[in-house]
Amino acid sequence: MPESGMVIAAVGWAGVAGILLCALAYVAVTLDAVLSARQLGVRGGWTAPLSRAARLLRQRQRTTVAADTLLWRVGGAGMFIGAFLIVAVIPMGRWVLADPDVGIVWFNVVDVMVWALVWLTGWGANSTHSLVGGYRFLAHGLAYELPLMFALVAPAIAAGSLGVGDVVAAQDGLWFVVWMPVAFLVYLVGVTGFSVWGPFAPALAADIAGGVLAELSAVDRLVFQAGRYLFLVAGAAFSVPLFLGGGSGPVLPGWAWVLVKTVAVLAVLVWLRRKVPLVRPDRFMEIGWMVLLPAVVVQDLLVSLIVVSGG
Amino acid sequence: MYGIVAMALVAVFAVAFLYALHRAVNVLAEPLTVLPAQSGWLPQEHALSRFHARWYPASIVFLAFDVEMLFMYPWAVVVAEEGMTAVVEMFLFLGALLIAVTWAWREGVFRWV
Amino acid sequence: MGLTRILAHLAVNSARVLIVEAPGHWLTRVELEQQMLLRGWCAAWTPADADVLAVCGVPGPELVELAQRLWEQMPGPRVRVDVASSAVVGSALEDAAALLLDTPYHRADARERAQEPRIPEDHGQMGHEGMDHGGHEGMNHEGMDHGGHEGMNHEGMDHGGHEGMNHEGMDRGGHEGMNHEAMDHEGMDHAGHGGHGGMDMAPAGIALAQGGQDRDGLEMDVLHLPLGPVLPFWPAGLVLCCSLQGDVVVDAAASVVDGAGQAAGSKEPQAPPVPASAVRCDGVMALLALAGADDAAARARRARDALVRGDQGAARDVVERLHRTVRRSWLLRWSLRGVLVLDPSDLARHGLPEGCRGDAHDRLSSMVEGLRSEVCGGAVPAAVESGAVPWERMPHLVTGLELATVRLAVASLNLEPFSTVQETGHA
Repeated sequence: MPESGMVIAAVGWAGVAGILLCALAYVAVTLDAVLSARQLGVRGGWTAPLSRAARLLRQRQRTTVAADTLLWRVGGAGMFIGAFLIVAVIPMGRWVLADPDVGIVWFNVVDVMVWALVWLTGWGANSTHSLVGGYRFLAHGLAYELPLMFALVAPAIAAGSLGVGDVVAAQDGLWFVVWMPVAFLVYLVGVTGFSVWGPFAPALAADIAGGVLAELSAVDRLVFQAGRYLFLVAGAAFSVPLFLGGGSGPVLPGWAWVLVKTVAVLAVLVWLRRKVPLVRPDRFMEIGWMVLLPAVVVQDLLVSLIVVSGG
Repeated sequence: MYGIVAMALVAVFAVAFLYALHRAVNVLAEPLTVLPAQSGWLPQEHALSRFHARWYPASIVFLAFDVEMLFMYPWAVVVAEEGMTAVVEMFLFLGALLIAVTWAWREGVFRWV
Repeated sequence: MGLTRILAHLAVNSARVLIVEAPGHWLTRVELEQQMLLRGWCAAWTPADADVLAVCGVPGPELVELAQRLWEQMPGPRVRVDVASSAVVGSALEDAAALLLDTPYHRADARERAQEPRIPEDHGQMGHEGMDHGGHEGMNHEGMDHGGHEGMNHEGMDHGGHEGMNHEGMDRGGHEGMNHEAMDHEGMDHAGHGGHGGMDMAPAGIALAQGGQDRDGLEMDVLHLPLGPVLPFWPAGLVLCCSLQGDVVVDAAASVVDGAGQAAGSKEPQAPPVPASAVRCDGVMALLALAGADDAAARARRARDALVRGDQGAARDVVERLHRTVRRSWLLRWSLRGVLVLDPSDLARHGLPEGCRGDAHDRLSSMVEGLRSEVCGGAVPAAVESGAVPWERMPHLVTGLELATVRLAVASLNLEPFSTVQETGHA
């Protein structure tokens, strides 16, 4: 671990990292609410995260007849917790909470867990709308997950390591996004996928009355929805060490650059949500397998050829 | 490693805090039991059932391809040392898989409605 | 307590409203949506997410019952407002906002309300009691089939090619006994069914899903999902009872809530006539929102509101931009291509107007083009009824489609069971 130049921060910093993560999610909610309000021709939206959270905290919990309550709640709370697990391996400049040899695989493990979490949230409610929503997400997962995995492999090939710290170190001078743009884009598609965000939100869409969200109320809804935003933030933040050179940049300290880059990626993802229509799973399945997957495999091939010939 | 554990604890604490706060400030702590949302109609049956996942062939193809990731991750670490042989071997393998996927696509595995 | 009060004041800024639109009260609903926007309130899609239940117009007895059940599903704090006409929208929302802040009231309400849903005792046995209401053409069982749905289909409701399938379904499993018995002993006490519909088969008073043959001959569980009348971006008053296997609709029955006659009688006295182009805009908005094109949907909504206000200048501007957005968005085209393709022979077979030709994107384009020529080009608005689709045809059109496609298909057909404009045109 030390050869990557990362400094393992004291575990006490976990609290700070958690607050930072929540703050970024707060920014994302605000941005989305302000953009929505502006598009409808009204002002406001600036206090949206506060008032929405207050509303849900005040609301009474609710369970449906013969619901699978345990699994249902596990799904919602799991979404909230999962994002924190990703953030633990994201370096802020030189500092990181944990830099395991297999940081990228760890990220992959957590993002696959989302399959179960979203599906459980849909299943547990014992309601047809949410059940359909839960299965819609699985169908999406089948299509976005493999391209995402191959996109994650590209930086690992270039760095010759699955450790996030090593990947950052390997980008000294040239960011990976420059010579693996396809992997970067496919990675962002994956991030929107596991955040059930924007085009990948048919599982929560209006046509099935909110799908997975249809029966969620009060704090259960709050943790699930917050979890989605937290995953969006964690996904955006993980793209920084993976493709955007980590903390490298002039003037500002490393950790500040990580924040700036994260917010930039996050803003793009939030902004795109309003522009891109829903990508229904039955339409996306072919795209995922026949376009994204071959494209990112070719990207991996190019990366490994460059590495082998250059190294 | 401790960092991940600490982070997990922070997350669990955050969730517990939200639930405790909710308990303190909501209108009634006991959950309400209701019928599932169906525009106000009574449900005819429980929704928990054998759902017809029509994309199951796609999930089989996914599993077959997903197992491949077991090789891909360790391979990514050593490819620079092993050199061209490793690249050729891996991408021949991936090529074969992609041909199989193309065949599956032509068979209509990725279309189900 | 300070914190509770602070939270209540914060919460009221983002209240969610579940809108129940009585057929024929389009204008009230639109006015409500406009006023909600000014308060920063959003529409809720299900009772789980709703703080306010707003009943627009004068609902018939059946819709009243549905609204009552939705009210019971709301978690609380909950406020119910009856908005009889567009004139009282403002004061209704004012009252709702004030009552939402009254925490002691909501605490008492939470304690005193029914804590469990009321499920009619015989519901488990009577497969489709929930659907079995008078005016449902195609679902009118005359009280004789208390069994599974096989009975319902068997009873002579022609669903075209599905009949064979349903008969087949009837021969399987232990249900036929129950069905026949139920049909033979019409009007007998329900106790006779107890043995079949007992607790083991109906936990919590609701039956378990039964299998049915899917199109590939596999036996798969069938779920019954009524779409409407309270569903986001859904034509007011329409009910489409779908039988689902997975997310594909294998069978459907259409009806209108309270029957068509009742709705015609409960028309709101509309002081300002509803502009036809505004109604068209609303349809475009629904389709775009269901397709998930939020920005484009927001444009359509602004155009609609400007047209209702009578602000032609603003409407012209927004419609132009909407037109550009729809024409340029290749993603939208890709998403709507091939959704419910109707060729001339289909149109003739189902008795549909010429405007429904093509797929959902063709219909969207022609709607937006028409809108543009009306609002910007000064063309005489085509009367909406000339393009209205008879809702009775919906089951034939949507059977075999996936649920999301069904929603897009319904939204893309100009489907107003009770055309608002039609009525004002006569008035």
